[in-house]
Amino acid sequence: MQSIPHRWFGAGQSSAADSAKAGAEATAEAIGGRTPKAVLVFCSVAHDLPALLAGVREQAGPDAAIVGSSTMGEIGNAGLTVGGVAVAALGGDGFTVHTRAAHIHESDPRAAGAAAAESLRGLHDDHKVLILLCDGLTGHPHDIVRGAYSSVGATVPLVGGFGADDRKFERTYQFHGDEVLTNSVVGLALGSDGPIGIGVAHGWRRKEPPMIVSKSHGAHIFELDGEPALDVLLRRNNFTGTADEFFDLGRSLQPLGLSRRNGEDIRVIHAGDDEARSVWGTADVPHGALVWLMEADRQALLDGATWSCTEALARLDGLSPLGVIAFDCAGRRAGLMDGGVDEEMAVMRDALKGAPFAGFYTSGEIARVRGASGLHHLTLVTLALA
Amino acid sequence: MPWTRLLTEFFTAVNAAEDERDAISGAVELATEMVEAEVGAVVRDGKVLGAYGFGPDVPQARLLGVAAGENLLDVAGIGELHAVPSPLGSGDADALIVARQGRPFRAEERQLLLGMAQVLGLALRSIRVLSAERHLRAEKERQASSAQTRQRLVESLLTIQRAISARRPLPEILDAVTGGASELLAGATVALLLAEGGPDRRLTIASNCGGELFPEATARAAMTSGTVLIQPDETGTLIATPVRVTGEMAGCLVAHLPGGTEQHAEERDQLDAFAQQVSLALTDARTVEAVREAHHDPVTGLPNRALFLKILNRVLASRVISTDPTSVLFIDLDRFKAVNDSLGHEAGDQLLALVARRLRGCVRASDTTARLGGDEFAAILHDSPKEAATIVGDRIVAAIKEPFRVAGREIFIGASVGVAVSRESAEKSEALLHNADVAMYRAKKDGPGRVLVYEPYMHAEALDHLSLRGDLQRALREGEFRLQYQPLVRLADGVPAGVEALIRWHSPTRGLVSPVDFIPMAEEFGLIVEIGQWALETSARQVAAWRREFPDLGLNVNVSGHQLVHPRFADNVMRALAIAGLPSSAVTLELTESVLMSEPDLGKAALHTLRSLGVQLSIDDFGTGYSSLAYLRELPVDELKIDRAFIARAELTGEDLALVRTIVELAQILGLRTVAEGIENAAQLLALRGLGCGYGQGYHLCRPTDPEEVPSRLLTALVEHR
Repeated sequence: MQSIPHRWFGAGQSSAADSAKAGAEATAEAIGGRTPKAVLVFCSVAHDLPALLAGVREQAGPDAAIVGSSTMGEIGNAGLTVGGVAVAALGGDGFTVHTRAAHIHESDPRAAGAAAAESLRGLHDDHKVLILLCDGLTGHPHDIVRGAYSSVGATVPLVGGFGADDRKFERTYQFHGDEVLTNSVVGLALGSDGPIGIGVAHGWRRKEPPMIVSKSHGAHIFELDGEPALDVLLRRNNFTGTADEFFDLGRSLQPLGLSRRNGEDIRVIHAGDDEARSVWGTADVPHGALVWLMEADRQALLDGATWSCTEALARLDGLSPLGVIAFDCAGRRAGLMDGGVDEEMAVMRDALKGAPFAGFYTSGEIARVRGASGLHHLTLVTLALA
Repeated sequence: MPWTRLLTEFFTAVNAAEDERDAISGAVELATEMVEAEVGAVVRDGKVLGAYGFGPDVPQARLLGVAAGENLLDVAGIGELHAVPSPLGSGDADALIVARQGRPFRAEERQLLLGMAQVLGLALRSIRVLSAERHLRAEKERQASSAQTRQRLVESLLTIQRAISARRPLPEILDAVTGGASELLAGATVALLLAEGGPDRRLTIASNCGGELFPEATARAAMTSGTVLIQPDETGTLIATPVRVTGEMAGCLVAHLPGGTEQHAEERDQLDAFAQQVSLALTDARTVEAVREAHHDPVTGLPNRALFLKILNRVLASRVISTDPTSVLFIDLDRFKAVNDSLGHEAGDQLLALVARRLRGCVRASDTTARLGGDEFAAILHDSPKEAATIVGDRIVAAIKEPFRVAGREIFIGASVGVAVSRESAEKSEALLHNADVAMYRAKKDGPGRVLVYEPYMHAEALDHLSLRGDLQRALREGEFRLQYQPLVRLADGVPAGVEALIRWHSPTRGLVSPVDFIPMAEEFGLIVEIGQWALETSARQVAAWRREFPDLGLNVNVSGHQLVHPRFADNVMRALAIAGLPSSAVTLELTESVLMSEPDLGKAALHTLRSLGVQLSIDDFGTGYSSLAYLRELPVDELKIDRAFIARAELTGEDLALVRTIVELAQILGLRTVAEGIENAAQLLALRGLGCGYGQGYHLCRPTDPEEVPSRLLTALVEHR
């Protein structure tokens, strides 16, 4: 008789064109014949999502919790797929899983974060983590994370990612059970009798001088240092042309670092308006904040990846990792450019010592271990299980 | 990392809140995140509000304990956290609380939190006032105007923050502070008074806007109480709110508004909030200052010499046409040293900062001004031929001639300006600056307050100045210095009590050089310590020899400030006396008043050491400086020498006599000897004797004399007066 491990973790990927087949293939690889308690699905919006989920369910069995998100690229031991699917699965008596999904109301995005965090209720394991998979286009990522933190409190760490739709910025999707949701937050509360490690790192550095956000509203920045924000970005990049040209020409990434106690809270600016001379990203940039343009080279980004993985593993009390779930910022992918992503995957495989991993390129990452703020950008967040 | 700037972000967020609940929860979340704490809450009117990061179980009682002063907070599932309660400035135990795992809060974090708590307290009070007034008809308008005011406040704070983050010079930042406050209060007159260091913490105006205002008493009262004060004055209302820098009381922001105090409760709160921000901004500006010091002069905020030369290089290199003239002005202040010496270096620094501001006002915004060091400034004028540069130079001379107000006094100084104009495109920046320096030196020589354009012949003259250094070194080596001695006579009976040693230099190439000319040079070149030591050793040996015949003869020797601050000064003096065999009680060291005033603390230890060994101390030229008499009590002084200026008139007037009598009486009270210098006729001698002045010196009594003739002079004097 096959012995059932007390805790297990597996990862799988598929590039199959048929959505049901892709879902089934990746899931089967991740499960490896075991009975999963949870399956995490990360895939492109290009897929027929209900069909893909049906393929996942067929392999995972009726009792497995299924959660997931649409992406800007899927990652795993086999490397990056765009338009594909990556799956992580876990099971065994040592893990406990609860899930909860909540719709994000425009008037109160915090409530959605708080409601998804309710999944932790009744979870009494020694080690706990709340994984959040959220819509990436609500414009209120901070409120969602704060809502979750206000409900959970400092006793349980948070990780997760905001979904994407390749590079369309139209609609992102969340998966909960067999349902495809949008404008939602899905919470997966994971309990374990083994240690849980979280790693957070980026590898970006400041470009002096700093600037004051002299006019902004939500994620829109109108003025930096009293000058139209788009003009400032174009000037500091020595670029002449329209906003679209600027953001499409490999400069799509304009990270701004907000001054924070122990470093920067990074925002990615990805679009601008030639008329209003404003720019914007996916998260709010407060009026009055001090910000830096951020820069990085490929090596610094790769070092960030190594650091994130190493940090997560270091928190496993000396145990070998069963596997890792990764939330990697899509902005990092753009920053790494041609060939760099493959290097990043290689670096992660090395740092994780061959442990299975699955994850996706996000439009915002969540990690709160210390302190109270949990939203990140241009960051690789890794969740290691042992 | 200047994260105190986070306060502006905090301020903006809290003031955007519509009601108390939003303001509190927003404030707690931001404060908690900004200091990387895990949990936060507000305690108000004995209730816990806005608790964040605790999850479902909020430890109410323990949070009330933190508000009452506990500094640890036990949170279930995490353990003990370091907690900081920051008062909201309203009820007794009302506080913004944050708590953090592992790392205690540093002083600057506590200060940031204090600022946040005060901002929150203010926002809450204004929200409460607004809701209490909701039944009034004018409610809508009021709300609108309050929103506008807050918007204005945010805008002017952003201006200040921008000035800081753009590393503008400190005076500009301070002007943004008063300008912002004035705008906020609908054009009120606003002054920012900052306290100097030193024991009396004098208040000076760092910046003002809308007119002159110096309400020192009100400012002091606000600083003493540590809270905002509102008081009526003859023409309206004064609001004064203290300003702290790095937690310490640093000064006061004061506004004057028309009308009675009862109309200005809102303005009082606004100014208070503004001052909180300013406090943090200034703390930050200081931090910025530290970073800038590498390139900027910390006193004036202007570029330093290195940066100036860099800029000049860039300007010279970027000229499109080689004939495109760039002018460099070298500006040296006249009489600055006297001010610095007598009022102290803090006043000197204030003066330099004010000078820097006037200089900037004399040039175009695109021109560069710099402080090269000491009292030397420079300016680069783009596209300025000789004529234009000379006009700017004249403007500078006129601007500096106007009185400055420093440390509560009117100060008059001047400036001499040298101009050099670039001739070739390959011109070196150092050479250009040097030429301007040479022209300035020449201008100064012709008399203060002049502007001169560099001509090549000036170079030769400057070389002369340089060769003086070599000459002085040689003089010391070759023994070209001589001493003369002038007796100090006891006025009551005409008996010579001692001699003052006076240095003379007969240069083989220059002829007789006056000490007035070469002593400052020797100080500048760092030769004074050696020269002073030579004079001390030589005169001690001489007087020891004479004492065999005149056993009570004393020696007065002049000491330069440079000697006094030398670490081995006391040792050097005692060694010279030991070698000469002269008892220390026979020696009086003469220091000028300005030397003692400039560095009262530096030489103090040496003087006390010497005093304890029996050496006496005399203050030379007494009455010429801006004396504070405090140092007469602090320093081990034995003798005052009344400056010759007080006795210069052939017939002393009633006013002269009154002054001298004051000094003599002062000396008697303090138990000091008095010596009158420059007695040139019998009438003066009689008058001074009548006033009770103890000793005298002067041509009428005895001229300075070569050593070989001194014994016979002393003998004559003794015989004559017995």
